[in-house]
Amino acid sequence: MPGPNLISDYLTALSAQLPAQIVEELADGLDQTRQHYLNQGLDPDAATGAALAEFGLPHVIVAAYTRVSPARRTARRLLAAGPVVGACWATALITSQAWTWPVPIAGRVLFGIALISVIGLLAIAAFGSKYRSVGRAGAAGCVGITAFDAAMLITVALALPAVIGPMTLAMAASAARLIFTARALRPVLTG
Amino acid sequence: MRAEELKGHLDALLLAALEDGPRHGYAVIESLRQATGGRLDIATGTIYPALRRLEEAGLITGSWSVVAGRKRRDYRLTPAGARALAGKRADWRDFAAMISAALEGTPCPDPI
Repeated sequence: MPGPNLISDYLTALSAQLPAQIVEELADGLDQTRQHYLNQGLDPDAATGAALAEFGLPHVIVAAYTRVSPARRTARRLLAAGPVVGACWATALITSQAWTWPVPIAGRVLFGIALISVIGLLAIAAFGSKYRSVGRAGAAGCVGITAFDAAMLITVALALPAVIGPMTLAMAASAARLIFTARALRPVLTG
Repeated sequence: MRAEELKGHLDALLLAALEDGPRHGYAVIESLRQATGGRLDIATGTIYPALRRLEEAGLITGSWSVVAGRKRRDYRLTPAGARALAGKRADWRDFAAMISAALEGTPCPDPI
């Protein structure tokens, strides 16, 4: 029975890249498309071939799902907002003379590495071509940026006696991003 | 009609296909096929991601059912989707009138 085997291979190719729920929906659609051609009088093999041709190549479908992935959309928004939040923090840290703060050099280096890693993960999610890696990188990037913003807010709140001027703006920017990321996290994790 | 010519119009077509009530993915495709006299040339598999995008945008909502032992996802228009469809229809009428005026010399109506 080459027909069902072809469909099974097709769905296996999709399953390797896409979540089970998406594949189940596609399997139902593919089955109905095949039935449509059977009803038109095609033999089972021809109906299978016509249905698969109408559906399109698996990598085209995977690419289409990757483009609409919640992880990709969230990562692109976070990357777009990054320079604005970063500029707020840069201004705040410079005006506060943050280089005089008693932060060990190892802590500063770790902070820099963590920030670059988060940006890298978000870049993979924003521009990657594989659905699963886009989802994983997006989820990790979201968690990372949440941890980053939370750490900054807690550190400043504990370290500074009063929050004024540019620091207020930077903290507001991080708080807004924290709220946005927290709201976006669920679809990113389940997508 | 070729797929690249549909760019920018697919969302409106999908929303219109759901205007009369809930439909699953294949029924949406069938509706579009019938509405266009079979002239729509687009990979069926890419309709499903587009439905997912509209769902993420809150323009449609999906729910699962089980038919003949197979899981099926049905979609329905949300109020936001109905408003978006009305807007896209108005935009299309305006656009079509403008292009017709340029190509065929018909009078171009004033913008709404």
